[in-house]
Amino acid sequence: MINATYAIWLRHMRKFTRNREELGGLLIQPILWVALFGVGMGRMLPDQSNYLSFMLPGILALTALGGAAGGGMMFLDERLRGILREYMVAPIPRLSILLGHMCATVSKAFFQIIIVVIVGVLAGAQLGGGVVGWLATLIALICFTLGFAGIALGVAARSKSIMGYHGMIFLFNLPLLFASNALYPLDSAPVWMQWLAKANPATWFIDVARSSTQSTDMSANLLNLGLLMGFAVAGTWLALRRFNAVTAN
Amino acid sequence: MIDAQGLHKQFGTVQAVIDLELHVPQGSVYALLGPNGAGKSTTINMLTTLLRPDRGTIVIAGHDAVRNPDAVRRVIGVTFQDLVLDRDLSGREALDFYGRLYGLDAATRTQRTKELLTLVELNDAADRLTGTYSGGMRRRLELARCLMMQPQILFLDEPTQGLDPQHRAMIWDYLRMLQQQHGMTMLITTHAMDEAEILAQQVGIIDHGRMVASGTPAELIGQFGSEMVRITANYPADYQPSWLQAEWVRNWAIQNGELRVGVDHGSRRIATILDGLRADGLQVSDMNMTRPSLGDVFLQTTGRALRDEVKS
Ligand SMILES: Nc1ncnc2c1ncn2[C@@H]1O[C@H](COP(=O)(O)OP(=O)(O)O)[C@@H](O)[C@H]1O
Ligand SMILES: [Mg+2]
Repeated sequence: MINATYAIWLRHMRKFTRNREELGGLLIQPILWVALFGVGMGRMLPDQSNYLSFMLPGILALTALGGAAGGGMMFLDERLRGILREYMVAPIPRLSILLGHMCATVSKAFFQIIIVVIVGVLAGAQLGGGVVGWLATLIALICFTLGFAGIALGVAARSKSIMGYHGMIFLFNLPLLFASNALYPLDSAPVWMQWLAKANPATWFIDVARSSTQSTDMSANLLNLGLLMGFAVAGTWLALRRFNAVTAN
Repeated sequence: MIDAQGLHKQFGTVQAVIDLELHVPQGSVYALLGPNGAGKSTTINMLTTLLRPDRGTIVIAGHDAVRNPDAVRRVIGVTFQDLVLDRDLSGREALDFYGRLYGLDAATRTQRTKELLTLVELNDAADRLTGTYSGGMRRRLELARCLMMQPQILFLDEPTQGLDPQHRAMIWDYLRMLQQQHGMTMLITTHAMDEAEILAQQVGIIDHGRMVASGTPAELIGQFGSEMVRITANYPADYQPSWLQAEWVRNWAIQNGELRVGVDHGSRRIATILDGLRADGLQVSDMNMTRPSLGDVFLQTTGRALRDEVKS
């Protein structure tokens, strides 16, 4: 189980570090987001560095969502090209195949996240909170990525084509961000939108990230962290269910 | 080693495999022969636990493939019709990762990888990305990959599809060597009758999901006698040459304006057949005589030529 997960993860990492295009793309993406959202939009406001600090968690969420979508894409590509069957005739649990892909997805997202944070700090974002806060943010981010990686893999497990997959993924990628507290504080939003945002894992993550990089009081974050962990498990469960249904057909 | 009974698989309204039965004893090679779309890949996918049959039982090396797929997966090696090699890995890495997937330790992986690369003569190309390999090299690497875990049974779906004659012969040599030196049990699918005839001790002919004939190549071909006389003439639609009821006629049929008669001794009977046709007032435009092949068996059992089907 662990062996197979590790083997699949390693295989993806080997391919990833070898693929200059992918590496370059993933590197530039976060820099662009920080520049466009943080610095660009921040110019319109009086206090620049504060808006970037406010936006940074949203950019992290966007990066994680992009990573999850990319992870589903990677899985779909292996499925459509038939590489997946190589794993399927091996005496390994189906879960390990999924976990291998999810770990690879999280690893790539992690790589991007580090860059977002570095670029963000260089551009003037202020990170407070200390080690505990950062750790909480990291755990929240990993759970958030895992949950969406699960959903993306679940979609990819059944998609007939790459176009179909993109169509599905687009449905929940950007709208999810707009229906959260990523871009603006929720206080000014209509009530229905506030409710929508409260049920949105992106909001849970952003709450954790904002509060724990601004204060050291963790207690308010426990509920959000719990919700995010549940979300990660639910995402994995969904992916496994859809994946099993496909292999049993 | 491979026992399947009453296998059924339906995709929507397409009956891909119908009531298929198949037995392969240990150490022997079985060829599933049929045109494209006959149901060969579907059958192999069910036998290798990739696809659950709608009905029927599959027992591989004593393990039930539906109830205990992992036990089956541990003893089989599989290559797929469409090559599944990862283009971004080198040949050596592809084998290494496969061993890793099964939890082989590093020393064993290195050693087996080396042995297998030597076996399939890919040492020189081992560290190039497989994306740069030719079709023949990829098939050979696939063969090496499926041998990585030292399986007892190989399932090879169209192992020589798209290869030039030289590479086909090369793959055949490996497969024969595996059978003779390692006593490997194999099930291969093919739409080439020469391949089935050369490699297999048992052949099953499959068409539209049904097994239409099975036996040893000699048995299947034997029903046509030792030679096949083919005569083209202006046959009327319902032509019945009653004089072909003789004891030296093994088998006869008229298809596409050609009369084919399986006989015990061609050169001795051809004159008699020509006389018979002439007595019925027919104009013979062409004739020849060949040894019957599995292609004739296929034509006889399905009414269609194997080769024409392949192109469609
Ligand atoms: N996943 C599938 N969904 C729908 N139809 C399928 C699927 N796989 C195979 N078929 C159909 O089943 C029949 C048998 O296909 P296949 O087993 O691939 O034949 P072969 O390998 O002999 O060429 C064909 O008519 C094919 O179109
Ligand atoms: Mg096929």
